Amino acid sequence: MDTKLKSISRNTATKFIAFVIVVILFTTTIVSFVYLENLSFNYESLFVEQYKDSETFANEFNSAIHETNYFINDFPRNIPDKLDYLYYIKTDGLENTNSGKYTKEFFLSFKDSSFIYENGEILLGENTAPTFITSFNTQEDITMYIAFTDEYLGSKQVNWETAREKLIPIVITIIASIIISLALIVYLIAVTGRKHEDESVHYSWIDKIYTELLLLALFTTLSIWLASIVELSYYPRYYNFQLNSIQVRNIIIIGLVTAVCTILCGAFLLSISRKIKGKIFLKHSITYSLFSKINDFIKSLLDGRRFSKNSLTKTLHQRQIIFIMVSFILVFFTFLFIAVPPLILLPPILEIALIYWYIKYNNETYEEINKGFDESIEEQMKSERLKIDLITNVSHDLKTPLTSIISYVDLLGKEEDLSDTARDYVNILAEKSNRLKNIVSDLFDLAKSTSGNIYLDFESIDFKKLIEQTIGDMEDNIEKSGLQIKTNLPEEPVNILSDGKKLYRVFQNIIDNALKYSLQGTRIFINLEVIDRKAVATIKNTASYEMDFTQEEIMERFSRADSSRTTEGSGLGLSIAESFTNVCGGEFDIDIDGDMFKVIISFELL
Amino acid sequence: MDQIRILVADDDKEIASAIGKLLSIEGYEIIEAYNGLEALDALVSNNVQLILLDIMMPKLDGLSTMLKIREKKNIPIIILSAKSEDSDKILGLSMGADDYITKPFNSQELVARVKSQLRRYMLLGDMANIISDSQIIIGGLSLVKDSKQLLVDGEPVKLTPTEYKIIEFLMSNVGMVFSAEQIYEKVWEEPAYSVENTVMVHIRRIREKIEINPKEPKYLKVVWGIGYKIEKY
Repeated sequence: MDTKLKSISRNTATKFIAFVIVVILFTTTIVSFVYLENLSFNYESLFVEQYKDSETFANEFNSAIHETNYFINDFPRNIPDKLDYLYYIKTDGLENTNSGKYTKEFFLSFKDSSFIYENGEILLGENTAPTFITSFNTQEDITMYIAFTDEYLGSKQVNWETAREKLIPIVITIIASIIISLALIVYLIAVTGRKHEDESVHYSWIDKIYTELLLLALFTTLSIWLASIVELSYYPRYYNFQLNSIQVRNIIIIGLVTAVCTILCGAFLLSISRKIKGKIFLKHSITYSLFSKINDFIKSLLDGRRFSKNSLTKTLHQRQIIFIMVSFILVFFTFLFIAVPPLILLPPILEIALIYWYIKYNNETYEEINKGFDESIEEQMKSERLKIDLITNVSHDLKTPLTSIISYVDLLGKEEDLSDTARDYVNILAEKSNRLKNIVSDLFDLAKSTSGNIYLDFESIDFKKLIEQTIGDMEDNIEKSGLQIKTNLPEEPVNILSDGKKLYRVFQNIIDNALKYSLQGTRIFINLEVIDRKAVATIKNTASYEMDFTQEEIMERFSRADSSRTTEGSGLGLSIAESFTNVCGGEFDIDIDGDMFKVIISFELL
Repeated sequence: MDQIRILVADDDKEIASAIGKLLSIEGYEIIEAYNGLEALDALVSNNVQLILLDIMMPKLDGLSTMLKIREKKNIPIIILSAKSEDSDKILGLSMGADDYITKPFNSQELVARVKSQLRRYMLLGDMANIISDSQIIIGGLSLVKDSKQLLVDGEPVKLTPTEYKIIEFLMSNVGMVFSAEQIYEKVWEEPAYSVENTVMVHIRRIREKIEINPKEPKYLKVVWGIGYKIEKY
């Protein structure tokens, strides 16, 4: 039962309906109120049934007395012809009335509303409440009678009752609306952000607005709303309980503005209450985040977190901050101590001590840093040297036995009394040891270039010329292969900054590769073009086998285009080409499209 | 001088012995040494015409040994090393070596280089006498302009007229790099238009005739992406 109630009360639809009802009720309240104001209803008629008993009438009665008293000063002039009440005045032997009657009894006959002043004494009508008369001061020697006719009071009573009839239902509506609205608002505040499933606070998109902005929006909306009500409230005094067209229009506008403002304010209020519930009202504000950032910054300065990245200079930074802050405080105290002459020397003395401290410890840190820096450079150089030494030593250790092998195989081949079989074996040994030699040589070239331990000789070279020279240099191999090389090179030189010798190795390896693995009778295309300030060379050939590998796989060390691995070569050709291209400052790319194998090498133009 | 004596200095005894056997077949007398000090001792007690010297040796390394030898003797020294960097080669050659062979070596190439150095060394006395304006000598190359002949280590090499013109042009401007166009215009005396391949093919042919290992030329070098030159020695 409890959960069911919860599920209903926390249902979005329920909340929505409640919200809509609040908007409607609130708008109704405001519109009703403005309507009442426009018609200048006297709210006293709500509480007092008889006009003659009302405060309104008391005021009217009082002002009649004062008005009449005022007449006396200017007597007999300035008495208006038409008055709502009857009077009789007598002073200095002159007397005046608008009733035609001069007797006290006539006036007293109006029991509900009569006032007699005679011989300094006040006498009221039989049913006239003494509380009506607030204060009255005048010369003692005047006589003054005042009364309201029953006809007049009667017509007033009719108006009074009409107003009462109209007012009561509207006011009840307003009160009921307010009560229901308040109840619903309390409900909405209670359930907003809550969901049936859990007890945590769920935020909506509006809660992403910073608290200050939310409050600002709330007050702006409220101001606009109030301003529009003040601006549009125009209350001409009409007593016939009818609104004119301007008033109707204004009330409609006020109603619309109120509805919109209520929706907005409601949304803002609920957002604020959600934030309060989630305890992020203060945290999720510009001020808070600003302060926390500043706070964090200052903290990070003090606890050294800020400088943790550059550990070498960390202490320097910290000391600097202490220096600046203490200096600042000392300057402040200097100004403060101007009033106390003997003390004014204190801050400068402290400042000198501070400077001494600052410089002394900074120098120590500098020394440490220098030492550390030297050490790290030395270490780096040492490790570089070790790396080079390793490559050189391994290379030497591999080459030395290989030299023996090759030499003795050669000597063995020179022996005359070898059997045919033995000679075959020697030939195989010679061939294989030669291949091993090539592999070792390639391997170290690759090791050196990939580890960056390679001697480079950069100069301005003509890319086009280099390609032509390489092709010319390899002409024998090309002729032997039976393949054709088609070149498409630009007319003018293509100057790049590179190491010609290394780049020759690159092209030699690529063309070699193409010659080895091209389908018989096909052509190898070598293009060079300038695209976007880049010299781009492409070498395309048609493979003689199915290339069942990807660009990445072919680039891996030791991978050869054919998986059988029987032909000559170290299998490092492309890897060396790639590595050399990279150390020479170029880009190396491979593209495989069906049987088309494409190498793309590009360099920035000089 | 009846028999030529060669000193082989290598800390790897098997390699020293293999080289010794290779060269013995060619008719040379071999003295083996297994470190720099031994090599120096051997030189004192023997009349040696050529030295094959390893760099990485115990006691006294090859380069230091070479400096010591060079203080007294002008005999050809061929460095034989596993160090194959250009910088190593340049260092060795600039410190007084006449040639540089990297391990593992090809035995034919080794023998050819040894012969080349010996020929030059033996002929040096004669050649010094006939130096004239019409002769250009660069290392083992000597160009005799009068007879339009090129001698490599004293042996004449057969060149076509174009090849001769090219080598004459390059040797006359030793150390300078010329583009294919420049060479073509000079040699063919025609305006050059896509001549790279033509020139390259000729250069390759010349290299095959004058170089012991055309793949690693000693004299006629390609400056990749720029041109061609004869190396200065």
